[in-house]
Amino acid sequence: MRKLFAIALKDTLLRFSGWAEWLFFLILPIIFTVVLAGGTGAPADSRVRLVVADQAQSPLSADLIAALGKSEAVRPDVMPLGKAEDAFSKRQVSALLVIPPQLDLQHLERGPIELELRQQPNNMNALVASRAVMAVISRVGSSGEIANRSVAEAERIQPFASDAARQAYFETALREAQSQLSAAPDRVAVAQGTTQDQITYDPRANSSAGQLITWVFIPLIGISGMFAFERQKGTLRRLLTTPTQKATYLFGTILGQVFLALVQMLLLVGFGVLVMRVNWGHSPAALAAMLIAATLAAAALGTTLGTFVKTEAQAGGLSMMLGMVMALLGGCWYPAELFPQIVRDVAKIFPTSWAMQGMLNIVLRGQGLAGVLVEVAMLLGFAGVFFAAGIWRFRYE
Amino acid sequence: MKKVFLIGWKDVTLIFRDVTALLLMLAAPFALTIGLGFVTGRFSGSSSAGLSGIPVVLVNQDGGQLGNALVDAFQSRDLATLIALSVAADPALARQQVDEDKAAAAIVIPAGFTQSIIPTQGAVPAGDVVQITLYSNPTRPTSVGVVKTIVDQFLSEVEVGRVGGQVAVMQLISQGLIRVQDAPRIGAEIGARQAGAAQEGGSIALKSVAGGAEAVQFDPLAYMAPGMALMFLMFTVSYGGRTLLSERVQGTLPRLLVSPTSTAQVLGGKIFGIYLTGLAQMLILILASTLFFRLRWGDPAGVLVLVLAAVAGAVGWGMLVTALAKTAGQVSAIGTALMLTFGILGGSFISMDAMPAWYRAASKITPNAWGLDGFTTLALGGRLADVLLPAAALVIMGAVLFAGAVLLFNRRGITER
Repeated sequence: MRKLFAIALKDTLLRFSGWAEWLFFLILPIIFTVVLAGGTGAPADSRVRLVVADQAQSPLSADLIAALGKSEAVRPDVMPLGKAEDAFSKRQVSALLVIPPQLDLQHLERGPIELELRQQPNNMNALVASRAVMAVISRVGSSGEIANRSVAEAERIQPFASDAARQAYFETALREAQSQLSAAPDRVAVAQGTTQDQITYDPRANSSAGQLITWVFIPLIGISGMFAFERQKGTLRRLLTTPTQKATYLFGTILGQVFLALVQMLLLVGFGVLVMRVNWGHSPAALAAMLIAATLAAAALGTTLGTFVKTEAQAGGLSMMLGMVMALLGGCWYPAELFPQIVRDVAKIFPTSWAMQGMLNIVLRGQGLAGVLVEVAMLLGFAGVFFAAGIWRFRYE
Repeated sequence: MKKVFLIGWKDVTLIFRDVTALLLMLAAPFALTIGLGFVTGRFSGSSSAGLSGIPVVLVNQDGGQLGNALVDAFQSRDLATLIALSVAADPALARQQVDEDKAAAAIVIPAGFTQSIIPTQGAVPAGDVVQITLYSNPTRPTSVGVVKTIVDQFLSEVEVGRVGGQVAVMQLISQGLIRVQDAPRIGAEIGARQAGAAQEGGSIALKSVAGGAEAVQFDPLAYMAPGMALMFLMFTVSYGGRTLLSERVQGTLPRLLVSPTSTAQVLGGKIFGIYLTGLAQMLILILASTLFFRLRWGDPAGVLVLVLAAVAGAVGWGMLVTALAKTAGQVSAIGTALMLTFGILGGSFISMDAMPAWYRAASKITPNAWGLDGFTTLALGGRLADVLLPAAALVIMGAVLFAGAVLLFNRRGITER
């Protein structure tokens, strides 16, 4: 037993001999958790972006932009004309609305004013923007339009005696139109359906669980590197000439890393609870079962990998690549529901899929130990198979 | 120059013989690009360059002039691509389609809608407002917003027509230009004229201008593939830097320096090798994604200039890390940490649109952000001239970092004989 601890302690000291290890142990996992929680959820504003260049800066143009802001289809983004044209020419925006300098009430009385909507060709978002702008200008400009038409109807019957009389007629009609339009009833009632979202997703919970798995799996798969290091340096041979059994060396190395992984997971769970406000703590038994099972599965995978990697560098590269690909396909970065069904089915061969599913059962679906038994069993199954293969094929020299 | 080339070529050959390096240089970005392609629906055909074919169910129980006009509006040619309309008779069935996520919205035009706005001759309007019901799918907020906008636009025109007729008639009566008993007849005439005028355009008109001659649909993979390539480029440059320190420890660097080869030639050769490796990595990934994913990277001249510049920026960072680290292992660890940090900061994992302004500003220290900016512009149809700014920024970044690295190399005497 003392030898096991001694080997585990030696590995821990070696691993943390440089400050860079803290980057991978705690700092980067926390950065990734926070950033992905903010960057992968449904966008807070999913409306189509409409760039607006307001050259008028008048109360009427302000009304128009405010009305666009209330639209449920577009999100106005006001910027100077040059910058807007640059973004449009680079096709970074679907549509650009150019408000001319003469958009004000004085010019409106003299006749129609034309706004320019530049649209990217064959672009549906541009079509959406066009519809939204048309709806808004029809409302904003309608008072002036009604007043102008009212003046025209009067002129059809009898010309105005003077410009002043015409102006007075226009202003009365304008006030009346504004009054009637503002009192117009709402003719559409919106009711919300009961559609269930097929994607169970909470950016904070998904990010906390997903990054925990990612950053624990990568170093545990990297156990293979520790075996390769000892083989390369010849220290494994030296160790085995001492009265130490092969099993003691192997279990000492694995247990040390499993213990460190559990510490790392608990720190990340603590961060999730305290900072991200993720509900990790409602079933400690389920959480403990999942953490231990996931850790053992990852360590077993690392042991198997250790049977065929030749160098530490090879192990490092492989663990990084395998860890990232398995995390991505296992739904640790983005919801698994976003993948086609066939990919989700294939991804079941990765322990990360089961680990993520189990973790989400705890933090997202509020399930207890009974709700994660299948996932725990699958992870322990992975652990059994990989440990068996790894120990059987392990090269001690 | 020949010596510089030989030293560089030797490093390129060594790296491309290393299976581990190839895994992270080529296999990892390629595999992750495939994974991200699945996430975005690029390989399952469910990705979209914008909204289209929004499923809407319409129930017209009104059957009057306005109810039919709203149906016509949704069936117009303008909206043929944007809206996939189906007409139903039963409101309950229409709502069920929304609840089952088969439709983004159900619109129910109730009986008496037209009558509530345009009373028939001689009939007195009941005074109650008859509302259209928009039954929305909460999981498709953008599509619902678009449908609501179309309904709002229609109702806005209806309202303007109603108020316009009333205001005109009231004004004419108040000025004594028509008699009260003639109001209904004249009101109907004005209504007809104003409807015609509304078709011609209001007091604020909208002139639509199509930008560019060519329609370009954005391929989400055009963001993901360069994102991954740029991230793993950081691995390549730090791996290259690591060889400098390894050679020093292994004794091959001092041996090289006692040969008739100057320090500048050795350092130049090493940097040339790293640059060439990064360049080869980027070009292989671009070629592979073009061949296997049919990904259009855009203007070839722009792509080439941007790749050359991106590699320069990344090499600058690689050299700085090498100059700061004491051992090859440190270069490896810091390089990997930098690769991942720049990946998340520079937008390789997430869309920068979702991030706050300070984050987007901070991302500019990474070659990833500048590179992605340029590659996205090219994929959207931009030309060489459009990516000169990110290319220049990357070259300047590379030059400044390289200068810093050389200063550190000299101070630490890494390349001394």
